[in-house]
Amino acid sequence: MPQPSIVIDKVSKRYRLGGFERGYRTLRDALTGKKKGEANELWALRDVSLEVERGEALGLIGHNGAGKSTLLKILSRITEPSSGQATLYGRVASLLEVGTGFHPELTGRENIFLNGAILGMTRAEIRRDFDAIVAFAEIDRFLDTPVKRYSSGMYVRLAFAVAAHLTPEILLIDEVLSVGDAEFQRRCLGRMNEVARSGRTVVFVSHNLASIESLCPRAVLLSRGEIARSGPTREVVAHYLSRRGKAAMVDLRAADRDGEGRARLTGIEVLSADGAEATDQLEFRQPFRVRLHYEVSERMSGASFGFGLLTSNGQRVFISESFEQERTFDLEPGPGSVDCVIETPNIVPAVYRFELWISDIPGVQATDHLVSIGEIEVTPGEQTGGTGVAMLTSGVRGVVYVDTRWSEARSS
Amino acid sequence: MSAEAPSHTPVLVIRPSLGWRALDLREVWTYRELLGIFVWRDLKVRYRQTFLGALWIVGQPLISMIIFTLLFNRVAHFQAEGGAPYPVFVLSGLLVWNLVANAINRAGNSLIGSSFLISKVYFPRLIIPLSNVVTEIVDFGVAALLLVALMVWYRTLPGITILLLPVAVLIACLMALGVGLWIAALNVEYRDIRVAVPFILQLGMYVTPIVYPLTAIPERYRWLAVLNPMTGIAQTFRASLLRLPVPTTALAWSATAAIVLLVSGGYYFRRMERRFADIL
Repeated sequence: MPQPSIVIDKVSKRYRLGGFERGYRTLRDALTGKKKGEANELWALRDVSLEVERGEALGLIGHNGAGKSTLLKILSRITEPSSGQATLYGRVASLLEVGTGFHPELTGRENIFLNGAILGMTRAEIRRDFDAIVAFAEIDRFLDTPVKRYSSGMYVRLAFAVAAHLTPEILLIDEVLSVGDAEFQRRCLGRMNEVARSGRTVVFVSHNLASIESLCPRAVLLSRGEIARSGPTREVVAHYLSRRGKAAMVDLRAADRDGEGRARLTGIEVLSADGAEATDQLEFRQPFRVRLHYEVSERMSGASFGFGLLTSNGQRVFISESFEQERTFDLEPGPGSVDCVIETPNIVPAVYRFELWISDIPGVQATDHLVSIGEIEVTPGEQTGGTGVAMLTSGVRGVVYVDTRWSEARSS
Repeated sequence: MSAEAPSHTPVLVIRPSLGWRALDLREVWTYRELLGIFVWRDLKVRYRQTFLGALWIVGQPLISMIIFTLLFNRVAHFQAEGGAPYPVFVLSGLLVWNLVANAINRAGNSLIGSSFLISKVYFPRLIIPLSNVVTEIVDFGVAALLLVALMVWYRTLPGITILLLPVAVLIACLMALGVGLWIAALNVEYRDIRVAVPFILQLGMYVTPIVYPLTAIPERYRWLAVLNPMTGIAQTFRASLLRLPVPTTALAWSATAAIVLLVSGGYYFRRMERRFADIL
């Protein structure tokens, strides 16, 4: 008889949104009796019930803001549920980010101990697995170099190597495979497969549907904080894909951000270039429009908006910032939105995500900054310029498509 | 580790907590390795990269000592209690004051400084301010070498009361941790507190007999100065080094205040803890 490993019973998480106010108060607000927000609430999760069996690998999929990360944060005890209960049988380790707590001034060796301890390994366990971690990361020559001198590839390899040697009964993983190069991703997937096969329970969140399919027999689709579908991964993924393309605005009010709160990006929409219809699928070279919704709490003059397009492994393809086009905005308190039209997106067919920011000191400091938001898919489409763009993913093709002309060289 | 041992499997129940929560020091104890690692990280970073940083830990009190000695002893003609050399008197006060003030300041800002950890991984949050206080004790130890050197220079030897030194340091640390916990938790919700803390601490040094002797305060106001729990700590610390009479009443009052602040700070911190990740 299968034993439960995780039992989630009607878990809900409600975030109070103080309108456009910041999450924290000042003492002055408290003394003057200013209340935080007017009952503006957002349910990140609503009555989610779910059971995961021992040794099962479960995939969690869904749009941004669907509640996947919130669920993992509750199971990892980072945040408390507003109601409901979750019971976990066994030691839990969570990996919500690669390299949590790495210190740039410390060496690779020192960071292995630091990061391992933060992730919940004992010193004895780290010492035991130390050589394996170093071998997995392939950094032995740089073991005593401060990690601030590492290339980003080395950094990620080291960080994942530590995480890959966690041996809890329950492992919660959020979107960590989206970093690193293709080869390293393959090795990580292999390692996670081993973990799942060794009788441990794995809950895995990813936007990479292919890795979910290869790793998890069962998947759960979350939508607006509720379970929309659950079952064999293939079916759930197919259902998810069939519903895409009807996407409207991505709600960013509860998204993770770095910001001081004076201005908050509240949503992003991808529209056709004329702004007539919303979409999350574009044809190759089809112009499109990005609409950013925001709310500001106090007048802000000379604000600049910016966004970047990211590949699925987090690399920037390009950025656009309004002040560089000599366009800044004077924002009045309250909500609003701005548009940016992308005229010639010469990007290779693949799935892309966004990075967004607002700044009133453009180029220096962001007032609000969100990374890895939304999702658009560029499809090969019809207009392949007559030459035919092969349906290859960005990893192989690079990310930009450049018009080129070949001819036979004339020998003189 | 085997997967089949259901009887030994720890069971973790996650549910919303209401109101006050237990301190759960046992859990903090199970995370003592992490506490050690945090202290080790902070010390390593501080003492490795900057030779100047380490120098500053000794240089800052040294320079302050010289200035305060000139000002209060040479210009204002204050005399140290028990006829101790004024530089030794000032430096001992500064050391214990800096221990408390720096620990309060760092512990108070520690949660905001660690928000990248708090939003990504679970561990008892008490570890963070606690590790900051421990780090400050090490800095205090380093700076104390200066005091030892100065005492050798002036040939002032402590008497049997030196046995009270650990008591004074312990109470100083408990006090710093208690206040630090209050500020750390308040800081998460009310961000403007962090601006006020350094200012209040600076004022605090001047209303506490640190750079001037308690005897410089007119007799009828002296009880007011003793109400300040830092007075008892500083006086005891000095008494242990300079063969002065032990201020028993002030010491008892300081110890009581420190424990009240620590326990209340601990409970308040735990009460606010559940919201840290959502606000930070």
